[in-house]
Order: sequence, then structure tokens, then C-alpha cells
Amino acid sequence: MQRRDFLKALGAGAMLASGLSIKSVFASATPHVVIVGGGVGGATAAKYLKLADPNIRVTVIEKNPVYIRPYGSSEVLNDHIGMTELEVRYDRLRDRYGIEFLFDTVIGVDPLARTVRTAGGVQLNYDRMIVSPGIQLLYDRIEGYSASVAESRIPSAWIPGHQTRLLRDQLHAMRPGGTFVIVAPPNPYRCPPGPYERGALMAEWFKVHNPTAKVIILDSKDNFVPGPSMLLGWNRLYGYNVPERFREGMPTEGEWPMKAHEEPGMLEWVAGRDGGRVLSVDPAALSVETEAGRFQADVLNIVPPMVAGRVAFDLDLVDGTGYCPIDRRTHESTRHPGIHVIGDACVADAMPKSGFSANTQAKVAARAVVDLLAGRDTQVPLWENTCYALAGTEYGLYVADIFRLVDGRITRTEGPRFLPLDASRAQIRIGALYQQNWMRTFTEDCFA
Amino acid sequence: MRRQKTVKKFAYALALIVALFAATVHAQASETQQSERPTGEMMGNTCAACHGTHGRLGSAAFVPLAGMAAEEFVRAMRAFRDGSRPSTLMHSVAVGFSDEEYQAMAEFFAAQRIEE
Repeated sequence: MQRRDFLKALGAGAMLASGLSIKSVFASATPHVVIVGGGVGGATAAKYLKLADPNIRVTVIEKNPVYIRPYGSSEVLNDHIGMTELEVRYDRLRDRYGIEFLFDTVIGVDPLARTVRTAGGVQLNYDRMIVSPGIQLLYDRIEGYSASVAESRIPSAWIPGHQTRLLRDQLHAMRPGGTFVIVAPPNPYRCPPGPYERGALMAEWFKVHNPTAKVIILDSKDNFVPGPSMLLGWNRLYGYNVPERFREGMPTEGEWPMKAHEEPGMLEWVAGRDGGRVLSVDPAALSVETEAGRFQADVLNIVPPMVAGRVAFDLDLVDGTGYCPIDRRTHESTRHPGIHVIGDACVADAMPKSGFSANTQAKVAARAVVDLLAGRDTQVPLWENTCYALAGTEYGLYVADIFRLVDGRITRTEGPRFLPLDASRAQIRIGALYQQNWMRTFTEDCFA
Repeated sequence: MRRQKTVKKFAYALALIVALFAATVHAQASETQQSERPTGEMMGNTCAACHGTHGRLGSAAFVPLAGMAAEEFVRAMRAFRDGSRPSTLMHSVAVGFSDEEYQAMAEFFAAQRIEE
């Protein structure tokens, strides 16, 4: 069904239904906010709506009764955690805050009548809606790659689930001295440090379990976050030789200097300028054709390009960028009033697509929704993002930024963002400890 | 009487127009004026991912902020900013805010109960 027909088909039914109960945000005693998507963004928005005003009725429509968190999911690959440790339940949001959950799929929204319908046959009226659909992976954008190849032979493991388990099993069964090839995605994508952390964690695991193995990261980009601080970690832990252009500010003496390794280590990063851009994949041969030639893998992990989650397309919230344009002050869609979009799916300018971003966007949107429902002026927004990342299980890195609204755009406040290159061993270890603690405190802020 | 009523009505109408105009100007100003500060709560909510919802934290490596004396919060943030207190990422966070904003966040957290 075409998107427009999809909306129209619903519209006809919704008009009739809404005629009986005319809803006004100002007249409504208990306004109803419907949230589509129960990931980090949706769950946080639900909780913070209730914290701001317990009288607001909040319903979350989510496909899966158990959430599998993507943040930290690469730690399944090195057996640091098991798959079940990624599972997050909604009980506490329901029991403590009175948030209603509908485990169902949205099949249509009428933004004029403000009604939403689900595959399970439920129709709800809403005063405002918050949509937090996350991303979908465009497997077919890479020649030779597809969803079925990803499910069976070349996992992306970027949205955790079966593919995460498959990749973990492939890595653990890899032949001695085999090569693990990771294809990093082009910008913008979910979890900027993710592909590089994944490579590092597997290099660390191989050092113990498969010491002659290799890790190659193929990239169309020339830099990544957290950039030099990650490269320095690779240098110290895996014998990676830092390219000349990144060496500025790296310690050459002192307690833990950067070294020039005579033998290249087990981890290699092929940047776009060095021909790392992937042209095609041969699933049968497990090989990748790049601008720099052919790479043979024993285990191949491809993170394809991505766009907003499918429901964002179904609800006509997406523009030509593949993401959802919004009024940055309130996260309200510029395409359909009354619908706010948060998280990876929204156009958020300088903010990365991360769980932390989705979490602070959810709080900004929840506050805006509460104020709009009450007929008040909306507040000045403020966002933050912190991405913790590991270069090894005891080597913690981060990028941390405050974001403000400047001339209608979400703008990064200038300042130092990364772990300093001269950070002490102690600071680096504490960073890893914080990363592990953040997994728990962050999950609690979103889901408990 | 009638004349008085009319004058009154006119005055009300005028006041309403002025108020509406002021509201519009205010709304426009808040769109563009970047000196307008976020509330302590708006800023404080960005700390929650590590320091707990409303700064409340049972047990973890991070410092609970709920109930912290405002002066202590401000002193800590200044020390993180000028580097006199070593940190991992708190320096990166602290440089993003002004002294007035530290104060607003400090007051938000000082007003929070340690437990729910």
C-alpha cells in the first residue's frame, strides 16, 4: 500500500470514530499521550511525562514485550555478557508510573483526527503522539548483501537479536589465524564508536583465544568518533600503528607512550582515503571488493547504511534525507503537527544517533508535550550526549557534549570532547569502570 | 455608567492586545535569544543517565546528586571546569555550562529527596 493510501484508508474510519468524542487538549481532563516505540527514546519519554504530570495518560505501543538493548550489545561477542543480559522488561515503568503498554504494531495514524490504529484492531485517540522508531538497516544498498544473507551468513548484528548470536558463534568458531572483517557504515548511523569498539573488543578476545587472528575494519570514512583516543588505545593494546595525520598530541614518552611497532599488529583500519570503501560483497566466498582491492574474510560483519525505522515511513514523517525533520525546540514533526519524533529517526543536526541522545531528546520532547498540553510556553531545551566506548575491557574512552538550540539548529557547545590523549592509566581504567556502571544507571533512567 | 463600561471594555481589549503582542514578541524572542537559560530541571535531567533520575542513585560508581548542598555542587562543577579536580569526562561536561547554570542545576538537585 502506498503511504498516502495507508493514511487515507485509516482516515475514513477514524473520522467517524472521532466524531463521537471530540478531543481538545485544553478541555481534556486527562490528556492522552501515545508513544510509538518502546526503546530508549520511547521508554524515557513515557517515564518523564509521568514524572512531570502523573495525571497524563501514557500508552506505549511496542512490538516486543521484552526489549533487547542495542547499547553494549557488542559485549556479547566477546562473552563479556550473555544475550539474556541485554533483555529489559517494562514491568517497572508499568507498576511504578502507571504507564500502559500495548504490545502491538501500529498500522496507521490519522494526524488530523489524532487517532492511531494497531494490527491487533485497537484504535486509540491521542492528544499528542511521540514516535521513537529507531533505525532500519538498508542491507540491499550493498551489492551482494541482503537481509537473508545477514540472517544466515554475514550478520550485521547492529540491531541485537539472532544476528548478534550468529556473529558471536562465528567468531568463536573462527579458524586459528583467521580474519574477521568489519565493514563500517557511512554517516549518519547509530552508535558512532560502535564498529571501532567492536573491532577492539574482538582483537582483545583473539589475543587470548586465537592469537594469530586478524581484525580488519573497512571504512568509507576518514575519521570517526572517538578518533585519536581510540587509535591510541589500539596502538597500546594491539600493536596498531597510528597514521601520521592522527599523531598530534599523542604521548611519545612518560608512563604509557605511543609506539611505532615494527610488525603491524592484529588490528587494521582501512580508511576511505586508503580505499576502504566497499563496492560489493560475495557471500559465497565471504569476500569483499573495495576500492583498495579484494579482502578475504573468515568471519564477515557488515553494518550497512541505515535510515529511520519503518514506522516513521509508514506515518509519513520522513523527508528526502531518510530521517524525520522536526522543530528542534519541541521535537514536533514539521510534516504532521501533534506528532513528536525523537531518537535515531529524527534530524538532530550535531547530535549523534545514540541511546544517550535519544534519552535527552525524550526528556526535551516530554517537557514540550506537557507544556503544550497545558497551553504553556515551551521551555528552552538542552541536550547532552555521552558515548562511552571501550578500546579494551579495561580501557575506557568517551565523547561528551552539551547541545543547545542556536538559530533553530541543535548545536554542539564548543569544548574538549574526548578522553585527553595524555590521560593516566588510572583515568583510563576508571573510564572503563564508568562505562560498565553507565550500562546500569542509564538503563534505570530509561526503564525504571 | 455606560461610557465608563465602554472605556473599561476598551481598556480590557487594549490590555489583551498588548498582552497578545507581548506574548508573540516573547515567543519570538525565546526562539532566537540564546541568552535565555534552560531551567535547572531541564539541565539536571541530562545528568540522569549516569547520576540517576533526579540525581537519585542507589549504589554505583557515580555520585548521587539528589539532596547535595547547592554550594557543594557549584564548587565541584567549577573544579571540574578549571581542572583542579581530576575527572574522566566531567571536565568535558562542566565546560559546557555557565556559573549561573551551575547554580540553577544545584538548586534543582538540592531540592530533590535522596530517596523517592
